[in-house]
Amino acid sequence: MAKLIGGLGTSHVPSIGAAIDKGLRDTPDWKPFFDGYIPGQEWVKEHKPDVAVVIFNDHGNSFFLDKVPTFAVGCAEEYRPVDEGWGPRAIPPFKGAVDFSWHFIDTLIESRFDPMICQEIEVDHGIQVPMELFWGRPAEWPVRVVPIFVNVIQYPIPLPSRCYEMGRVLRQAIESYPTDERFVILGTGGLSHQLQGARAGFVNPQADQAFLNDIATDPEKLASMSREQYVELFGSEGAELMMWLVMRGAMDRDVVVRHKHYFVPASMTGAGMIVMENKATASPAVAA
Amino acid sequence: MEEKPGQDRIPDTPLFDRKRSLGGYRINKMAMGLSKPENREAFKQDESAYLDRFGLTPEEKEAVMTRNWREMVRLGGNLFFILKISAVDPVRITEIGAHQAGMDHDDFLRNRLGKKV
Repeated sequence: MAKLIGGLGTSHVPSIGAAIDKGLRDTPDWKPFFDGYIPGQEWVKEHKPDVAVVIFNDHGNSFFLDKVPTFAVGCAEEYRPVDEGWGPRAIPPFKGAVDFSWHFIDTLIESRFDPMICQEIEVDHGIQVPMELFWGRPAEWPVRVVPIFVNVIQYPIPLPSRCYEMGRVLRQAIESYPTDERFVILGTGGLSHQLQGARAGFVNPQADQAFLNDIATDPEKLASMSREQYVELFGSEGAELMMWLVMRGAMDRDVVVRHKHYFVPASMTGAGMIVMENKATASPAVAA
Repeated sequence: MEEKPGQDRIPDTPLFDRKRSLGGYRINKMAMGLSKPENREAFKQDESAYLDRFGLTPEEKEAVMTRNWREMVRLGGNLFFILKISAVDPVRITEIGAHQAGMDHDDFLRNRLGKKV
């Protein structure tokens, strides 16, 4: 059966992609941010996942307000970068893990989750940036992807606990998938930021640091928080952090944290990264 | 999580609820249109005519044409959509933030984002 080898968490701020595009990686504003991802990139190189399940939200690019799926799962052969207003970014298209996507959708429905099914869809920075942060800029992506879109823009958005429960189903889908492929799950978004209203520019480094601890040691606490608590603590857009719970819900109760990184501000956002393995099956590598 | 404009349950934090989504639909749809190159061109050529295609009210039109970000958000504009205006008429996201916060840009960077400016 397929195997879950790790859970990764990361911000997906669009300015990160723009900084790479403009060659700003090593400028004083960005270098400390990007350098913090080097251990994460090394982990990925060493553990060679075959498939990356990426949980993110579309930012008014692939979906408009006319149709808003609470959860949507991609099962396309290929996902091209969408035009967000500046033209599609010049990065390679992502290859889909079509068969697993359908298997996951089957498992979701049988577990009373009812996602939108997307056979043709373009993808925005929500998945592009995390992929670039962990895999760099290869000519071709060395993993196939399964995009999970979560509506965190149009209220009512889903409950954090629901994201966590979806993670359990994802785990079940991976472990009932009859191949020997190696899976990683990327929970993306956050950390604290707010783009709208007079509180724009709100960041909360203390809450962000606590989140990076709790996601490993006390995910139930994070799953039981209300949406309003997320908005209050992490800002109106920072509430998207709840998407990390899909990744965390797929992991065991006990995990080992391999790497962790926090930097503020990346553009207007507290930016964070984490690499975790299930304790029971953790690789013998030395913990960071 | 229903709320009335101006009565945010979390202070100064507009949640994009039913009311805002309905109210801002025209502005957001107009901005969504800017994901297409031909619409970006139309916006550049004759902004007023482009806005009319989406049936913006005079109040909405005024907010867009004066790049009044605070007002666009008050009228239901959502940043993820209206940000596309900055692809046609460049402005930094931190400037949009500062404008909404009612702060000078450097003050905003210093006091909100903790940058050394």
